Amino acid sequence: MIASQKTLRIIYAAVLQQVMEKCQERFLIQNSGLKFELIGVGSREGAKRLLSGEKYDIIALADQALFAELLAPDLVEHYFVFAADQIVIAYNHSSRGSKEITQENWVDTLLKPQVSFARSDHHLVPRGYRTLMVWQLAEIFYDRPGLYSTMEAACLPYSTYPKSLDLSRALFKGEVDYAFLYSSEAKQLGLPYIVLPAKINLSNPAYANYYDQAFVTVESKIPGKNVIIHGNPIEFAVGLAKDSQHSELAQSFVDLLTGPEGSLIIDQCGLIPC
Amino acid sequence: MNEENVEKVNESELTIPIERSIRAELLLLLGQRPSHGYELIQRLNEADFKSGEADAATVYRNLRRMDKEGLIKSHWEVGESGPGRRLYKLTPQGEASLKVWAKYIAQQKAKIENFLQAYFQFEESLTEGEGGVNLT
Repeated sequence: MIASQKTLRIIYAAVLQQVMEKCQERFLIQNSGLKFELIGVGSREGAKRLLSGEKYDIIALADQALFAELLAPDLVEHYFVFAADQIVIAYNHSSRGSKEITQENWVDTLLKPQVSFARSDHHLVPRGYRTLMVWQLAEIFYDRPGLYSTMEAACLPYSTYPKSLDLSRALFKGEVDYAFLYSSEAKQLGLPYIVLPAKINLSNPAYANYYDQAFVTVESKIPGKNVIIHGNPIEFAVGLAKDSQHSELAQSFVDLLTGPEGSLIIDQCGLIPC
Repeated sequence: MNEENVEKVNESELTIPIERSIRAELLLLLGQRPSHGYELIQRLNEADFKSGEADAATVYRNLRRMDKEGLIKSHWEVGESGPGRRLYKLTPQGEASLKVWAKYIAQQKAKIENFLQAYFQFEESLTEGEGGVNLT
C-alpha cells in the first residue's frame, strides 16, 4: 500500500514510546511513504490536548478510564484495552539500601532519612496518581495507620520529576535512589526492581474492589475543578479519533497494535498484551 | 541443610505448578461461557477449583498460547459503555482438550485417594503401639 503525502498523528502515553516506535517500523513496511507524527505525553495531558482542539488520528493512554472520563463518546467513539502492567519500586545499583530492600521491608527502607524516592505528578500522568493509590493500599494491607501521609511527606516533591521520562531518567542517572515506575519501564531501562504484593500493585483484576478503596483528587477537564479517581487494575487503551482524516490507515495501525504482531511487540517491551 | 532450607524444599515439592493446571481451568471457565481476560481473571480467582492465585500475566500468556493452538478463539468486542476487550470462546478442539484434562484429573484423583488410603492404614499401624512400623 502506498500512502505518500499522508501523515498519521498519534498521541500516546510516553511510557509507550518503545511500543509505538516498533509498531511504526512494522507499519511502514506495508505503508511506505506514510509519515508519522508520534507525540509522547502524560496521559491526562494528552487527553486534555484533544479536548482543547488539537487534532490526532490515534490516542493511546496509560489508563483506559481516561477515555470514559474525558474523551468518549464525543471525541473517541470506541477504545480498546490492549496492555496491562503493575507498579514496582525501581532502583539502580548505587541506590542507598538496595542490597537490603525486599518486598517485605520496602516501606522502612524508603523511609530511612538518607534515602530519596520520587513519584510523578498525579495531575499529568496516571503513574503519579497510581503511586499515591499504592501508598494508600499499603497502609491498609500492612495495617500501618498514617503510612500514606508519611510516604507523601518523605517523597521528593512531585514537581521535581513531573513526567514519566523525567523520573525514569533521573533514576537511571542515579539522581534519586528509588522511583515508583511501571514494571515495563524498569525492564526497558534494565533497572532492578521490587515487585509489590498483588493487593497493592494494581495489577490484578481479582482485586478490583480492593483497589477501589484508594482514591486521589486530580484536576478535571474543567479548569479550577477537581475530580476524584478511584483505584483500578492498570490497563492501557487505544482509540481512534472520531474526526481522524485518515480513519482507514488509523484503523489499520490499531489493528496492528491489537493483533498478533502488536502483542509480540508489547510483550518485548515488558508489558502484558491483553 | 538448615531448617529454613528444609521448609523451602518442602513447600516447592507440595506445590503443583499453576502453569500446568491453569489451562484446564481456563478451558472450563470458557466452556461455561465466553469471557474476556479481565473477567476470566476474576472468575478464576473466585472459582472453588483454582490451584493458586492467578495473576494477569499468567492468564493472558496462557490465553494467547491457547488461541494460537486453536483451543480457543478470540475477537475484539466493542464495549457498550466501557472499553472494548478481546472476547475468548472455546473451540471444538478446546472442548476435546478439556475432556482429556478431565480424564487426566480423574486419574490423578484416583491415585491421590489410593495414596491417602494407604497412608491412613500406615498411620493407623503406627498408633497400634508395638505392632507399628519401626521408623529407625
